Amino acid sequence: MSSVISISKLAKHYEVPEREAGLKAAAMGLIKRRYKTVKAVDGISFEIQPGEVVGFLGPNGAGKTTTLKMLSGLLHPTSGSSSVLGFEPAKRSHDFLRQITLVMGNRNQLSWDLPALDSFDLQRAIYSIPVDEFKRTRDEFIELLELKELIQKPIRNLSLGERMKMEIVGALLHKPKILFLDEPTLGLDVTMQKRIRTFVAEYNKRYGATVLLTSHYMADVEALCKRVVVIHHGKLLFDGDLSTLVEKFSAFKTVGFTINTAAVDWTQYGEVVSTDGGRMVLRVPKEKTSAITTRLLNDLAVEDLTVETAPIEDVIESVFAVKEETME
Amino acid sequence: MHGLRLAFNYLRIGVLNEFQYRANFYIQILQTFIALGTGLIGLNLVFSQTTQLGGWSKPELLAVMGVFITMGGVIRSAIQPNMERLMEEIREGKLDFALTKPADAQLLVSVREFRFWQLVDVITGIVVMGVALSELHWVIGAWSVLGFFTAIAMGAVMIYCFWLIITTTAFWFVRVHEIANLFEGLYAAGRWPIDIYPNWLRIGLTFLVPVAFAVTVPAEALTGRLTFQTWFGALALTAVLFTLARTIWKIGLRSYSGASA
Amino acid sequence: MKRYFDYYRATMKLSVLEQLQYPVANYFYMIGMIAEPVIYMVVWSAVARQQGGMVGGYTPGAFAAYYIVWTLVRNMNIVFTPYGWEWRIREGQLSMSLLRPIHPLHADVAYFAGWKVVVILLWLPLAFILSLIFKPELNPTLLQGVVFFFAIWMAYLIRTMILSLLGMVTFWTTRVSALFELYFAAELILSGRLVPLSLMPEWVQKLAWFFPFRWAFGFPIEALVGNLSTSDLLTGLGMQLAWILFGVISVSVIWKVAIRRFSAVGG
Repeated sequence: MSSVISISKLAKHYEVPEREAGLKAAAMGLIKRRYKTVKAVDGISFEIQPGEVVGFLGPNGAGKTTTLKMLSGLLHPTSGSSSVLGFEPAKRSHDFLRQITLVMGNRNQLSWDLPALDSFDLQRAIYSIPVDEFKRTRDEFIELLELKELIQKPIRNLSLGERMKMEIVGALLHKPKILFLDEPTLGLDVTMQKRIRTFVAEYNKRYGATVLLTSHYMADVEALCKRVVVIHHGKLLFDGDLSTLVEKFSAFKTVGFTINTAAVDWTQYGEVVSTDGGRMVLRVPKEKTSAITTRLLNDLAVEDLTVETAPIEDVIESVFAVKEETME
Repeated sequence: MHGLRLAFNYLRIGVLNEFQYRANFYIQILQTFIALGTGLIGLNLVFSQTTQLGGWSKPELLAVMGVFITMGGVIRSAIQPNMERLMEEIREGKLDFALTKPADAQLLVSVREFRFWQLVDVITGIVVMGVALSELHWVIGAWSVLGFFTAIAMGAVMIYCFWLIITTTAFWFVRVHEIANLFEGLYAAGRWPIDIYPNWLRIGLTFLVPVAFAVTVPAEALTGRLTFQTWFGALALTAVLFTLARTIWKIGLRSYSGASA
Repeated sequence: MKRYFDYYRATMKLSVLEQLQYPVANYFYMIGMIAEPVIYMVVWSAVARQQGGMVGGYTPGAFAAYYIVWTLVRNMNIVFTPYGWEWRIREGQLSMSLLRPIHPLHADVAYFAGWKVVVILLWLPLAFILSLIFKPELNPTLLQGVVFFFAIWMAYLIRTMILSLLGMVTFWTTRVSALFELYFAAELILSGRLVPLSLMPEWVQKLAWFFPFRWAFGFPIEALVGNLSTSDLLTGLGMQLAWILFGVISVSVIWKVAIRRFSAVGG
């Protein structure tokens, strides 16, 4: 099957004026401007098949959003090529735009003062959706996300999570084949995050849509994506199964707790990450986590024990470090 | 006096700040130039059709324009920025500092902001007044000069009080921001001496929005038609407005901090 | 074609519903705006009385009519400002509208068109009150009324085109307030906003023919208030149409260039 999203050596460079501190530099700056090239995206390539749900991971500033913007036609690449559903995104043909959607966490499309229902009708008109089909889709989504009580309330009266659900419904009413989701769960509480994930998964199942999802929440990716693409400093670092990534690189968990005693040999429990007053953080191998926490609780008077997966930044850093070793 | 020293400090910081934005200076010059240009065009259009308006000759109306521009500069440099900031802080509930600093809150909120470049308008207005006076052959007596300066001061105080009263209602009403737009429109009426306006409008302008006192009265002083009654009326109105403003401010502040209003 | 009708209808419905939620804000704005023409009206009426009842062919009653109709035309004139374009690009709202399979400018035109409907409704009582106070002389014929109706909507489109062009300048530079201020000043003088154009010196009136401003402001007013001949009225509508066409072409061309730049630089 031919891929539905295909990019080849895609790059986006910005010329940024360089500015140094100091009077002399400012004066020089008036005469001759020095420019620095910022490589937001530095030659990435991948292919995505129809129906895939791909996680696009990386810390802030890695180039994820820039890539999404290039794939949706908002930005013109500096070099390289991309093809989405056979279209060149930069051309922004209406047929292309009708089949995609880009959802960014904090950008609102729905009318603030009016109930979502009114805004949905406008979406129908924008995308020229036949009325019957529109109603069916709309009602289906409303049911899936349990929004029946809320659709008559003005958007401004909804909580952040409820608003996000409405935005997503609005973004999908035209049943796009390609979903670009940029941090869709940003700022939401855990329950809401789960709801949205379930909805996206369901949409993908029912309509066979292709989803490209960026996040720096590991949980989003774990729930939805079999395949992940890791990007850092504009470069592709990893493209493969999520399970491989997790296995290789988040082999550790961090255990944090508060304790009064100072004189303890921590190496028997794990590697010390930080000590801050009475707060200790240890890194322990994932498979030994429950054993070690049990020992900690038994042996010592620890309080406020927490167990966390290594944050994505750590995972990425270790991916990056390993990559250097394997020389790719 | 602590209050004055505080005010001076704010002024100094404000000025230093503004010097950083030299572009604002050029933009201000352009805006003043354009406003002056359109004002003069308007004036000339009127006087292409007549030789006097409401008993005022062309140079006399030019003097009115000068006062209008200067007073506008005073309002936009010292009064309006403070009131707009106050409005916003009331709306966002950020006024707590006013209750905790060891200085009078009203003084504090009234002097914090200063748009230095608006002084270009003040200077421009003075130049226009100068031109007008020279066309009137500088027929102006010592009393008129005194009357002029006191009238300008009183006018500024009255506009300040008016602004403060409106802004203070932000403690109770939310939509006070549109008042700024409204004021701009009403103040524009000050470009012409209130003698030309129909009676009902004249009264509205004098009492509701002290435009007349801000602009027409000083202009009357410059052109030698200021009467003692008018001057005294201005003094009385200033006193009344000041007391009223301070009282309403105090009530507003109390209700803000949760005390029984 | 049908889908554009559908889109305009849906957008206008939305903007009407939205704006009906803010009658107070709209009224405040309108009242603030009324000060300007009232001042002009009062000044010129005073001049007219001074000169024996008429100046430049206008009596105080005629001035009242001119400036009251002015308020409606001014309201119809209000469109998305160049400053708004600046804000929109900066806040990323433009990107959102670029994702839709419909030219973003349709959104502006449609939204404001709906708003105008609300504005016209809110304006009527205001006009009534102003008429009671200032007693305008107004006896339009049916033809004048019809021409006026079309003229105000075409004025709206003309000004939309002009200010969109100005707004697009912000794609290239943000330091544009100087340009805008100069533009607004020129518009003030050459459009019939400050005074009826017939009161301007000859050379200004001739100059005004080269600019679209009077077709967005003075002409609609004169159509209703003045005594233009039928041929003048129809010529006027023709001129408006021509300026709209010119505007649409210019905007399309500049837009393509602007978007290319926007997509290169991002937002």
